[in-house]
Amino acid sequence: MSERMRDDELERALTEVGQRLAYPRSTALAAAVRERIRRPRPWWAALVSRPLAPALLTAVALLFVTAFALPDVRSAAAEFLHLRGIDIFPVPSLPATTTGAPLPFSGERVTLAEARRRAPFLVVPDAPELGAPDDVYVDTSGATTRVSLVYRARPGITPSRELGLAALVVEFRGSIEEVLLGKAAGPGTKVEPVSINGARGFWLEGEPHLFFYRDPSGDVRQDTLRLAGNTLVWVQGEVTLRLEAQITKDEALRIATSFR
Amino acid sequence: MEPHARAVVEGAETDSVEGRPLEDDQLVERSKHGDQDAYASLVTRYQAVAARTAYVITGSEEDAEDAAQEGFVKAYYALDRFRAGAPFRPWLLRIVANEAINRRKARGRRPTVGLSMAMDRPSPDTALSPEGAALASERRERVLAAMREMREDDRLVIAYRYFFDLSEAEMATALDCARGTVKSRLSRAIQRLRERMGEQPDV
Repeated sequence: MSERMRDDELERALTEVGQRLAYPRSTALAAAVRERIRRPRPWWAALVSRPLAPALLTAVALLFVTAFALPDVRSAAAEFLHLRGIDIFPVPSLPATTTGAPLPFSGERVTLAEARRRAPFLVVPDAPELGAPDDVYVDTSGATTRVSLVYRARPGITPSRELGLAALVVEFRGSIEEVLLGKAAGPGTKVEPVSINGARGFWLEGEPHLFFYRDPSGDVRQDTLRLAGNTLVWVQGEVTLRLEAQITKDEALRIATSFR
Repeated sequence: MEPHARAVVEGAETDSVEGRPLEDDQLVERSKHGDQDAYASLVTRYQAVAARTAYVITGSEEDAEDAAQEGFVKAYYALDRFRAGAPFRPWLLRIVANEAINRRKARGRRPTVGLSMAMDRPSPDTALSPEGAALASERRERVLAAMREMREDDRLVIAYRYFFDLSEAEMATALDCARGTVKSRLSRAIQRLRERMGEQPDV
C-alpha cells in the first residue's frame, strides 16, 4: 500500500504527467489531411469503418450514401416540411437490399456488450417475442450515438418485404414531437399517441417512410425508416426508442413495455 | 476580441474562448462550402490536441497519428451534420477518440498501453529541493503506471480534464454524454486511478 496523495497533490501529478507525455509530433497532419480530402471520395468510403477491419457491407448497399450530404437535399427536406428557417440534417440513409445480402446499417457491427460500452444509454429489451438481437450496429459518426438492434427472423412476425427482417430497434439520445412525426406522415399514415410504462410514445401506422426527431442540441434531424411496416416510437428518459416491425399495435406495446 | 453576439441555444457554448470560437465559426462555414484551405487551417489549429488525445488512448505514436488523420478526414465529411456556431474542438475530439479506440481494439486486447514520458522536461523543478523534486517525480511515475493499466474511457476522461483542460461542457460533447454525467464519470475515473495506485483507502 502506498501513501495516499491529497486531491491537490494528485491533480498536480496528473497535470505534470500531461505536460511530459511523449506525444507524437503532429506537424505533418494538415498536409496529409489536405491530400486526402483533395482526392474525390470513393463512393464506398462512407461506410468502411476503418482500414484495419474488413469491409462490412457490399457495394450495392452503399450507392446513395453521399447523396444525402448535399445541401440541396437539406433544403428540399425543409421545403417538404414547411419548416424553412430550421436546419434539417439528413442522416445518410441507404436503399434496401435483397434478403440475404449484408445489411445496410450505418456504423459498426459490434457485440451487445460493446454497444453498451459505447452507448451507456442503451436499453436492452427483455421481450420473449424478440429475445437477444442478431446484429447490433453502433453509429458514432453523427451528432449523437445511435444503436440499431436487428432481429432477423422471429416466429409470429412477418419478415419485412425488402430486408427480410422481423424487427428493428433503433435507440439514440433525442426527443420526439407529435408535430414533427405528423409532418412525415403521408396520406395513408396515422400518428396515434400512446403510453408505455407511463412514458409518452406514438404509434405510426400505414408504412411511414420518414422520421423526424430532435437531437440533444435541439436540431431537427431526419431519419429513414428501414422496414416498411408499422413503427412504435417512445421516450425513456433521455433516450428515444423506435421499434419497426410488421406487428399490431398491441403486440408492439407489449414488446415495448419489456424494455428497461 | 469583441464578444460575438449570438442567440443562446440550448446546449451552445457560452463560456470561455477556447479555440477562438469566432474564427473557428468562419473556418467551419467555409469548410462546409468546400474550402479546403479553411479546413487545413482548422487541422493545423487542432492537430496537436487531436494527436495527443489519440496517443493517450493508443499509447502508440503511429496509431495516434493515423487515428488523428482519419478523424480529421471523417470530420470533414461529417461537416454537413455539424451545427453552425457549435464549438469545433470537442466535436472533433469525439470523432478522433472513436478512431483511436477502434485502432486500439484492432490491435487486440492488451492489459497495458505503452504510454511514456519524454526524457526532456518542460522546465526543471527549480523551486523544489532535491527531495521535493524526487518525490514529485516518484508521484508522476506512480500515476502514469496506473494510467497505463486503466480502461480507455477512464484514461480519456482524465486526459480531457487534466491534460487538455476541456471545460465540463466541452467534455460532455467530446464524451457524448449529458453535462451532469461528466462530473460523476471523472470522479469514478479518479477513484479507479487511486485504486490502481494501490493507495491506502481514505479513512
